[in-house]
Amino acid sequence: MKVDPKLHEVVDRLTGDGFREVEVYHKRGRSRSLRLMMRHVVTSFREEEGWAVRAGDDRRSFFHASTGAPNPDTPWPEADGEGLRLPSAKLVPEWTAPADLDAPLVGEGEALGLFEGIHRELASELPGGRLLVAQLDDGSSEAQLYSSREVSTSMRQRVAVLYLEAAGAGAAVGPIRLRLAAREARHFQPLALARRLADRLLIAQKGSAPRRDRGEFLLAPPVTVALLDALRPLWIGAGAVARITEITDRRGRVASPAFTLVDDGRLNGGVLEAPVDGEGQPTREVVLVEEGIFRQPLVTWRQGGTQTGRPSGCASRASWRDQPLGGPTHLYLRRNPEVGVAALVDDLKRGYYLLDTEGAPRLEDDARRFALPVCGFSIDSGQPTGSVTGAWLVGTVTSFLNGVQSVARDLTFLPSAPGLVGAPTLLVRGLELRRRTDN
Amino acid sequence: MSLSDLDYASIARTLSQIADHRSDVADAFFERSEVIELPAEGEAPGFRVWHESGVAVRLLRGEKAWLAARDGITQESFTQAVRRVARAMPRAPYPEPSFPRFADQKAEAGELLDFPSELARAIRAHHVSFSMRLTARRHRRQVRLIGTQLASGVERESFYSVVAELPWGRYGALLAELDRSTVDAVARQLVHSFRAQKASSPDPGATACVLGPAAAAALLHEAVAHALEADTLALGGHPEAAIGVTLGHGALDVFDDPSTAPEGVRRGADDEGYPVVRRCLLRGGVVEQPLADSAWARRSEVLRAGAGRRADRHQPPGPRSTHLELMPGEASREDLMAEAEGGLYLPEAERGYLDPLSGNFVLHFPYGYRIKDRAPGPAVGRSYLKAHVTDVLQAVRAVGREATSAGAGWCAKGGMKLPVWATTPEILLEGVRIRS
Repeated sequence: MKVDPKLHEVVDRLTGDGFREVEVYHKRGRSRSLRLMMRHVVTSFREEEGWAVRAGDDRRSFFHASTGAPNPDTPWPEADGEGLRLPSAKLVPEWTAPADLDAPLVGEGEALGLFEGIHRELASELPGGRLLVAQLDDGSSEAQLYSSREVSTSMRQRVAVLYLEAAGAGAAVGPIRLRLAAREARHFQPLALARRLADRLLIAQKGSAPRRDRGEFLLAPPVTVALLDALRPLWIGAGAVARITEITDRRGRVASPAFTLVDDGRLNGGVLEAPVDGEGQPTREVVLVEEGIFRQPLVTWRQGGTQTGRPSGCASRASWRDQPLGGPTHLYLRRNPEVGVAALVDDLKRGYYLLDTEGAPRLEDDARRFALPVCGFSIDSGQPTGSVTGAWLVGTVTSFLNGVQSVARDLTFLPSAPGLVGAPTLLVRGLELRRRTDN
Repeated sequence: MSLSDLDYASIARTLSQIADHRSDVADAFFERSEVIELPAEGEAPGFRVWHESGVAVRLLRGEKAWLAARDGITQESFTQAVRRVARAMPRAPYPEPSFPRFADQKAEAGELLDFPSELARAIRAHHVSFSMRLTARRHRRQVRLIGTQLASGVERESFYSVVAELPWGRYGALLAELDRSTVDAVARQLVHSFRAQKASSPDPGATACVLGPAAAAALLHEAVAHALEADTLALGGHPEAAIGVTLGHGALDVFDDPSTAPEGVRRGADDEGYPVVRRCLLRGGVVEQPLADSAWARRSEVLRAGAGRRADRHQPPGPRSTHLELMPGEASREDLMAEAEGGLYLPEAERGYLDPLSGNFVLHFPYGYRIKDRAPGPAVGRSYLKAHVTDVLQAVRAVGREATSAGAGWCAKGGMKLPVWATTPEILLEGVRIRS
């Protein structure tokens, strides 16, 4: 892969100064952001260019990052840090960049049109419903990486993130918040978004919570995503094996056979799909849990080994300012294309269809139990019988993992940090709903 | 080379070309920053340095604002940013301004290198020892605003941030200095938190409590500053409607005054170039002047600009506090403790959040003490306060007579990460529900 000669110059200069391990990362990006708050509109256009160097050997190291283009004449800081080791170049399987990487950034008029569309549809779905804040960030970037270990690669990204805050009429109902990511801002659909906001506001207006109840639970993607995200330490990093061993049963099972968990940096159509990660290592599909059996954790080249399994390119850089950090790119629960959500609702005899979260999950008892603030509907014989808000979904981590009965086809990804986490709707048994007393 | 070397006149002339409506305001925000980090032990690469510079050009017209930000302070970055925000380019433009060349200096921060060992020594002096992963940073920034109506001098900030990952939790602090007394103060807080780590949380219920200066600062930040930001107030109606409303107890006189902040972060102008004012947020518990930036002040007869802050050039300014001051009352520490006998002494708050629509806020306390014999007694574990802003501010019964600079922390409202500072005495709250 051909990279800018300035990157070579920096590496040559530092290797000439005696540093064996040198890596230069250079990134340029541009983004358009539109923020609407009440009637006030701010349109921003940002162009960023920056670069970063990691340099060292087995006794010393430093990190330097700066705006602009790589400059070999930079006054480098003292290498006062610990010894540094960088990854070597690996063969990168062939990859075709998705066509929409080249699509132009969303225009100011298009973005305002999206906001107006959501606002209009929300008001028609729910009289008195209003958008408090809407923000759309649409950006693209190119990055290059070159190192003394023969890593030489470039990567491109294109991400749009939409943030919405809405409230209902009258007394303080809301705010309801929604954060979504897509490759292109043009994929956001005003009507679908307005309906989601209206559903949530209606629940907040009319809902209540049972003091305590059990039953079957349909967990919509945002609820499962919040749980999968909170349980990251079970599947990510070198310490995951020890943690997951604690919840593995005698048959070697950690979850129900319906539960298959994957991370895939090359996911076809994924918002962050790329051939290499932030350290130039090839990305790939890694099955972490297969039909309930733990296969391996998600580990970077640095964490890989006989205990942890084969590493994958899973180190992301949030920007040129940041160190590469191991974590998921597209972490998701595999869907079942044969099962529709409507069929799961129809089959629900008595239980709850939980649509969304109302806050962050809590892990308790040394991360063996969880409590997640949720909202949704109570269901009787496949029919909604009331709205639920102000409730905790509680249970042990093992009861959640082993209680998954069925998985639908509606796989949906939501932004997390880092990466995206995805899940389809799940049918789960063995959990409990409790009224929140802290409202 | 400093931002004072910018050619103010020619930059202002170029900006005047895009401010072609009578009420338009155009300005350019120049920023240079340096952050040096000493990462936790064993974390490579080691000594970490970030140098940044850039410019943001903004055009305000009616209810709309356009902002274009570019990295680098050069003729090209400035000219491109001006073109991005211009609604129509003039037929005969002025000559483009020339810019000096800003070069990065070699980054050195010996005081950071010494900090971990000095802190370890200060902790050992308390006859305790525990493991921690310590990260320390020095932040330096200079900014300058040049506009069609205003131009500020160069504003400089220099401060430190510290994060300690502890076996029982996380500790974070912003420090104006990294001198001996600051190291001792950080060590004291870490030792208190170590000694309280296994204490049981207090039983939930209504109680009297005394908030230490750091906890009082966090409470005022959430319940007064955030609640009185013009953009927060606008979510519920007109921001001006808050003026004259009784929000808290008569003992509360709260100001935001960036000019009296600790020396390294003292400001003469805000991030929009407006001279800062000693803004009275609450006088006798009554709202006097909410926090506003120029965009909100332009739409109002009564709101005053001067509280516009930007986390960096890439983000538009927003109304935020810089340095909160709670005026001291008359109560001695003994008086406060006596009034709260049997209640709680909560020296620190680790995080807080205000729900802008409902006015409810949450404040988390990592540890505290049961007040016994007019003094902090047995330790108690984690607890939190969740209540409506007015309920808590009305629950203030007395304000201590000695104010100390304390409780600064990072504010992250709306994704804009800003350092905030405070000078407050201890306060006594009565009948607030502490939960665990």
